[in-house]
Amino acid sequence: MSEQVWAYSGSGEVQCELMSAALELAEKSGRSAVAVELGRQREEVVAQSRLVVKGAGDDPLPEVAAEALTRAARSRHPSTILVGATRNGREVASRVAARLGWPCLSEASKLSIDGAQLQANRTVFAGKVVATVSCGLPAVVTIKPAFYPKSTASGKEVDEFDAGELTGVVKLLSRRKKEAGAVDLRKAKAIVSAGRGVKRKEDLPMLQSLAEELGGALGCSRPLSSDLGWLPEECHIGLTGVTVKPDLYVAVGISGQLQHIAGMKDSKVVVAVNTDKDAPIFQASDYGIVADLYQVVPAIKKALESRR
Amino acid sequence: MRIAVCVKHAIDETELKTGPGGRPVLEGAACKVSVFDKNAVEEALRMRSAQGGEVVAFTIGSEDARKSLKEALAMGADRGVLVVGAQASLDTGRTARTIAAAVKKEGAFDVVLCSEGSSDTYSGQVPPMLAEALGTAYVGYARKIQLEGGKAKVERLLEDSVEEVEAPMPVVVSVVSEINEPRYPTLIQIMQASKKPVQEIPESQLAVDPGSSPVAVLGMSVQTSSRKRVIIEGGPEDAAAKLIQELEKEGVLR
Ligand SMILES: Cc1cc2nc3c(=O)[nH]c(=O)nc-3n(C[C@H](O)[C@H](O)[C@H](O)COP(=O)(O)OP(=O)(O)OC[C@H]3O[C@@H](n4cnc5c(N)ncnc54)[C@H](O)[C@@H]3O)c2cc1C
Repeated sequence: MSEQVWAYSGSGEVQCELMSAALELAEKSGRSAVAVELGRQREEVVAQSRLVVKGAGDDPLPEVAAEALTRAARSRHPSTILVGATRNGREVASRVAARLGWPCLSEASKLSIDGAQLQANRTVFAGKVVATVSCGLPAVVTIKPAFYPKSTASGKEVDEFDAGELTGVVKLLSRRKKEAGAVDLRKAKAIVSAGRGVKRKEDLPMLQSLAEELGGALGCSRPLSSDLGWLPEECHIGLTGVTVKPDLYVAVGISGQLQHIAGMKDSKVVVAVNTDKDAPIFQASDYGIVADLYQVVPAIKKALESRR
Repeated sequence: MRIAVCVKHAIDETELKTGPGGRPVLEGAACKVSVFDKNAVEEALRMRSAQGGEVVAFTIGSEDARKSLKEALAMGADRGVLVVGAQASLDTGRTARTIAAAVKKEGAFDVVLCSEGSSDTYSGQVPPMLAEALGTAYVGYARKIQLEGGKAKVERLLEDSVEEVEAPMPVVVSVVSEINEPRYPTLIQIMQASKKPVQEIPESQLAVDPGSSPVAVLGMSVQTSSRKRVIIEGGPEDAAAKLIQELEKEGVLR
């Protein structure tokens, strides 16, 4: 078995995060970390060592990406393949694991290798519980986007592998990039997050302006983006959305279900505004105000303005 | 049209208790059907109304898992298959191979529907692994599915893009919750669900490949939160002023 830890994501940004995880694991276990890229070398990927897999083309469908990685792994025998747990990444990882007959750990953090065993932590039950899991090597591992910081360790080592001709049964008919969100919530220092307690879409500007007053951005719970479509999906915070760690998180009209908490629990200070004193969000907050958001939000805004 | 739909009998995270040593009490923990699986069932039922045919719901678990099958049957699935055995916890490969073996045993299906991820673990790996084990096409994160001429045209909802793809049937498709609004069964439907056939297959009969190395769970601990949990009293203006003072002290205001 080779001593390489591979990292792959179709997203350049996530790939840089995975390189942090790969380097950490590689250093702890005397292995080397390699960024695996399909088709071509991408500028946005920072890595000391890369393997460029030819044959898959740019931006392949997950089915084809999986076959490219599978062939590369059969030839080069890495010990671990880390894959970013984006929607496409989950499919790639699952298929690669199935094709190679390797075990697959998902949403892993705190990776370590002990002999021929890989160990990791992951959250389960909507973030309520941390499980420690293990499996034998070689293995595939998925890692949540934004969990690790981006690696900045760069180098010039480049290797190539020709995967040969690759085809899949799924045909791409069209691909439409979504309008890029105005802000990246993961970078925001303050977030005001809107939940179902907000009665109408027209009320969102009130929260938006509070967010701006705090020097931050507006996020939301899943129902507001998925069910109601009031905000773009990349604004939804939680298990199935983005994970954020701002200095200040203000949950407005959010009940605080575990799936939401999972995405914001590492915020520095959490404030909640909710009419229900028993709402679980208050258990996950530093400061709570039990009141109608339509009264409290303007009051907070005014208090902030008068502070200047 | 033969449609299979996978429903997970998942531990209800809101009911999960903490035991000695901060460990969750999994034995006898309350379970419910994984929420998004209802979207998969709903989509299966809509396919059946458009194309005719049969909807078969599959699950793995103990007798208690019949409850989740019953939900699918009350919504309108024709019959259920219960693979009697322990859920493979976090070994997604094993789970997928078990479902695949049960699906194969029930004959050929045109479409196998799953949801994007389960409410308890949300790994999102079983659907693609299931397609690999069945040797069929796979399309993930569908928010719209059209079946026509032996093909599935699917709109996929990704983080930064929307894709339209075409896959040959048979196909495994995972759906996002945006795809539909699951119906609520009526009281009569709930009562009738008990009379619908549920076939039990002991897991041992399926001779599932355990895989090169199983995923083992070494330990679990319930997360504790160390928030201050201060409730700020007073009318809106007072409360707002006090809040700003606190935030100022925390150093989180710009
Ligand atoms: C597998 C899975 C994954 C999920 N992933 C996510 C996720 O990533 N992110 C996410 O957010 N959710 C997720 N969910 C959904 C989650 O379980 C909750 O349903 C959701 O977070 C609830 O959103 P909410 O708090 O906005 O709405 P609700 O639960 O309806 O809460 C609304 C709150 O507003 C309060 N309120 C009402 N009126 C006012 C008022 N005038 N002023 C102040 N407060 C008021 C109410 O007291 C209530 O507490 C997921 C669910 C599942 C099953």
